[in-house]
Amino acid sequence: MILLPLAIVLQASARCQTPPSFRNEVMPVLSRAGCSLGTCHGNQNGKGGLQLSLRGQYPKRDFTTLTRTLAARRINRLNPANSLLLRKPLMTVPHEGGRRFSPDSSEYRVIHDWIADGMPDDSDNAPSASSLFISPPHATLQGSQTELHLRAAAVFADGTKKNVTDLVVFESSNPAVQISQAGKVTFPDSDFSQQTSITVRYLQLQSVCTVEHVPNRPAFEFSAPSPQNEIDDLVFAQLKRLKINPSELCDDTTFLRRLYLDLTGRLPDPEQARQFLSSTDPQRREKLIDHVLDTPDFVDFQTLRWADLLRVEDKTLDTKGVGVFYHWIRSQVASDRPLHEFAAEIIAARGSTYSSPPANFYRALRKPEERAEATAQVFLGIRLQCARCHNHPFDRWTQDDYYGWTGFFSRLDYKILENRRRDSNDKHEFDGEQIVYLQSTGESANPTTGKPAPLRFLGSSSQDLREQLGEKKDRLLVLADWFADDTNHRFAASQANRIWFHLLGRGIVDPIDDFRSTNPAVNPQLLELITQRFVQGGMRVRPLMRLILNSAVWQLSSAGNATNRHDEVLFSHTVARRLSAEQMLDSICQVLGVSPEFGGHPAGLRAAQLPGVRNGGHRYSRPESGDRFLTLFGKPGRLLTCECERSTETTLAQTMELVSGDLVSELMLRQGNRIDSSFDANESDDAFISSIWWNALTRAPSENELTAMKTYLLSSTDRRKSLEDIVWAVLNSNEFLVRR
Amino acid sequence: MLHQLVDCHRRQLLRVGGAGLLGLNHPHVLKAEDSQLKPGGGGKAKRVIFLFQWGGPSHVDTFDMKPTAPDGYRSLYQPISTSVPGLHVCEHLPGTAQMMHRFAQIRTVHHRMNNHNSAGYTALTGVEPPIDDQRLRESLDLFPGYGSVVDAVAPNQNGMPTYVAYPHRIADGSTTPGQRASFLGKRHDPLFFEEDPNAENFQLPQLSLPESLSLDRLNNRRELQQLINRQTERLEQSAVARGLSAFYDRSLEMLASQQIRKAFDLSAEPNAVRDAYGRTTYGQGCLLARRLIEHGVKFVTVYFSRSIGGRSKTDGGWDTHGFDNTRMYEILPEWHLPLTDQTLPTLVNDLSDRGLLEETLVVWMGEFGRTPKINANRSRDHWPKCYTVLLAGGGVTGGAVYGASDKYGAVPDRDPVTIGDLAATLFYSLGIDYNQEVHDNLNRPLPLARGQAVTELFS
Repeated sequence: MILLPLAIVLQASARCQTPPSFRNEVMPVLSRAGCSLGTCHGNQNGKGGLQLSLRGQYPKRDFTTLTRTLAARRINRLNPANSLLLRKPLMTVPHEGGRRFSPDSSEYRVIHDWIADGMPDDSDNAPSASSLFISPPHATLQGSQTELHLRAAAVFADGTKKNVTDLVVFESSNPAVQISQAGKVTFPDSDFSQQTSITVRYLQLQSVCTVEHVPNRPAFEFSAPSPQNEIDDLVFAQLKRLKINPSELCDDTTFLRRLYLDLTGRLPDPEQARQFLSSTDPQRREKLIDHVLDTPDFVDFQTLRWADLLRVEDKTLDTKGVGVFYHWIRSQVASDRPLHEFAAEIIAARGSTYSSPPANFYRALRKPEERAEATAQVFLGIRLQCARCHNHPFDRWTQDDYYGWTGFFSRLDYKILENRRRDSNDKHEFDGEQIVYLQSTGESANPTTGKPAPLRFLGSSSQDLREQLGEKKDRLLVLADWFADDTNHRFAASQANRIWFHLLGRGIVDPIDDFRSTNPAVNPQLLELITQRFVQGGMRVRPLMRLILNSAVWQLSSAGNATNRHDEVLFSHTVARRLSAEQMLDSICQVLGVSPEFGGHPAGLRAAQLPGVRNGGHRYSRPESGDRFLTLFGKPGRLLTCECERSTETTLAQTMELVSGDLVSELMLRQGNRIDSSFDANESDDAFISSIWWNALTRAPSENELTAMKTYLLSSTDRRKSLEDIVWAVLNSNEFLVRR
Repeated sequence: MLHQLVDCHRRQLLRVGGAGLLGLNHPHVLKAEDSQLKPGGGGKAKRVIFLFQWGGPSHVDTFDMKPTAPDGYRSLYQPISTSVPGLHVCEHLPGTAQMMHRFAQIRTVHHRMNNHNSAGYTALTGVEPPIDDQRLRESLDLFPGYGSVVDAVAPNQNGMPTYVAYPHRIADGSTTPGQRASFLGKRHDPLFFEEDPNAENFQLPQLSLPESLSLDRLNNRRELQQLINRQTERLEQSAVARGLSAFYDRSLEMLASQQIRKAFDLSAEPNAVRDAYGRTTYGQGCLLARRLIEHGVKFVTVYFSRSIGGRSKTDGGWDTHGFDNTRMYEILPEWHLPLTDQTLPTLVNDLSDRGLLEETLVVWMGEFGRTPKINANRSRDHWPKCYTVLLAGGGVTGGAVYGASDKYGAVPDRDPVTIGDLAATLFYSLGIDYNQEVHDNLNRPLPLARGQAVTELFS
């Protein structure tokens, strides 16, 4: 019994004998206290005269900075507590970054002891951490249980395993869920389910843990529409676990509009609509899905999505190139070309951008880095951009990974046969034929090391492929083969997720081009399922779309219930969204029976059929009203290979355009439009109103609406104008503007 | 008395005047440790008028003249005394000279962009683009303009738009980035128009309804629309429908708003005032800026010209290379300098008379200065390595000069100020924490400004 205090003393002095490791303890502490963040000393210019590497990626350099530069004024060896390195974060001297930790914190102790022990430098020889574990990796908290303690452990190169909970950084993806630096997760006291993923960072390692909270709902009884396929099984299982009831299936009218808008960007034609809505065939939804997937309008709309991503844009590709590339994409979509073949053909493409259409992908991406980033983003769902300048702070990618991947693209070059650009100073403008070809040499060096990084497929840890391939081998063909391999899971998952996103409005991994361990799928089994089905369907788009469209999940109503109203990520109901730029303009035109005007295109082309995008500006004439409308409502400029370039937000300028803007006013006044012909033909009130309602809203006017509109017409002194007012009201109704 | 302040970051604020210039004053030097520096806490400004001098005015022929520089460098204009003893400006700015006690200058602003579009973007955002690209393209991976940032982090709560910009969309070959909200989202774009405020029937185009569309008729339409919306009650509760509804209300409100209409109604100004600002697009633009500020707009950008110009005595921006026998020294006194001398002091005086200056920061700057060495065309080319920015109001110390260029005006000699520092200063003046982060389209965390505020400028 008496020995106990002694044991404590012994332990304490034993600790003194092993000074804290600079690399494995001091550096993580600086990260944990926020010192090496980009907003503070991790900034490229540092802050207040102290510059650390971003999130501690270069320990050696930081060691020198802390101990040597400025005559080591930050450190007081004789009186460690008096070191600037401790006084600043304690705020005993003014510190712009505020107080970072307290004198009794583990952070303080580590830095203090390290200074007291003579600041040993182990930045080269400390065993490096090889893996990071968080426990538990997944947890479900029930009812009144709103807290959970997480622990982090690291395994080092020498095989030792150590508790690093005091050294890591914790971050919660859901701001409503708190995480303390001690690793305590706290859910708010709420009556609806919440989920979060907690990212843990230690040195260059990240690990993630997902935690969910199930509210106390004693009377909860799960009820859901009957599952139509395996998608429903997986989505409903998750909802049931979280005590959330999915909404009911939507009605036939909503289904019909949703299907046409999602697949074709247009509204259903009244004749077809009436036919569908009067059908009693129990298979009518399934049959209609098959029918719409088979229309040319579907091909147009799906081509538009790829044209956005592959940067089909006039200034760089020129008008002929835009046409050639667009029509090639369209033909691939029309034949439902397997996406791995589609990707491989693009990656392998070269030759004239006029006669070899997919070579235009490279024509738009003038630098190896841009090609590497775009390929990762579009075909693998990875945002690699951060790793261009520093190791990726939220992901595993290092600069070596980045430049190893860029190495595939570094030999590509252009023979510019002709360039009739209007602006000789514009390096982005190309007007004329180009040949995309490969040089026999060329490497992309990692700017930090000054050397080319080992050539590797992204995510692989293989040897440098240069040794295997030799100098002469065409690297892009090797890369194309890698994409063409139907066991490339990363590719398949990213494409399946994109298809899901296009139909559900949100990815299972979201954002869809941000796959990383620290951004986990909201329903991993679901992602795995659709990936498998996508692969089994030969990586074709239509079979997977068919599966999704036939699920109850896609067909759920947008009306929420008491349990699912707060959910926006688990697919428990349909989230209503504004029509996209093309959907809106094409629908307005469809209702009015007119066509908009776009620069450089014959009349009659719909917005969803435009091959390119007008990125003209200054030297060009002012864009036509149709082009301006599309830009205003979020059509992307196609300068990025990111779905995020398409804006879905609602702005004041948009409603101003709908209320009093040029285009809508002009279309409503256009000679020969539906209003005009109704007026000329002296159509009855009932017939006019019915026709507008069916064309715009896919339904008959209600009793109430009919009476109100007829009263309005009756009281009018200018019938033509009153007809316009009614049409305006319909075109600006929620029911028209929102896909639900 | 004039020698106050100075340095928290080992930099010096020189209040020119009296013995100060001769070094007889010994400014009290504060050490960083002595002061409780609160980043972003300090500004008195509630509003900003940003006068963007597109094309790049010559600093060495306006506010940082070098009368002792050798031939070939020295301006052909003479310096004249100003209301601040010891401070001189160009002889073609006599009106401005009398107002210099209201202006603070930073004479060491610098960046690395030599081309108009990349430098323009840099000056409008405080962020340098990845490369010095003559036709830098507007894209979502570039930073938003100052006004859009303000709109995102400190929007107006008074029903007036936060950010208004006019009367040009500036461009050099292609539209200059930095004029809109970029990755912050279109909702933070400025209320922008290209209509000429000097035109006879000027009014905000967004507020002008087509002739056949009266406000009454609009209200009828809105009633019919709401009647249809009520058919789908549950849809009305969705976030997107509520958002739309709020915007419709706002649109109609704006169309009916007397306050907004009044703010834009230049005809309400007495002729004498309109004449004082000058009957030019830019002059009436400056007057409009004052009206907008007065009516509660928070950030107003007035672009000097649509094009970089420099070749005309009646039009265009400050890009005076002297090409094709269009000599800078002949053009400036005919066009740019008189226009500046009519507008700048008038605006600042007017703000002061109305008690608005204390809370309004006026910024006068271009995308760069011009070469200290006079070129073969007896003109000057682009020079981003060191140039002068004027500030007035919003708590800045009038008459102050911060930083000094070398004897040619070529590089900072003392207290260099990066463009990121300038951005930080701007946000600081508004009391905005410039270290706070916004996220770009790839979710990368980016600070509002990449520099430190020149807090010494504020008294």
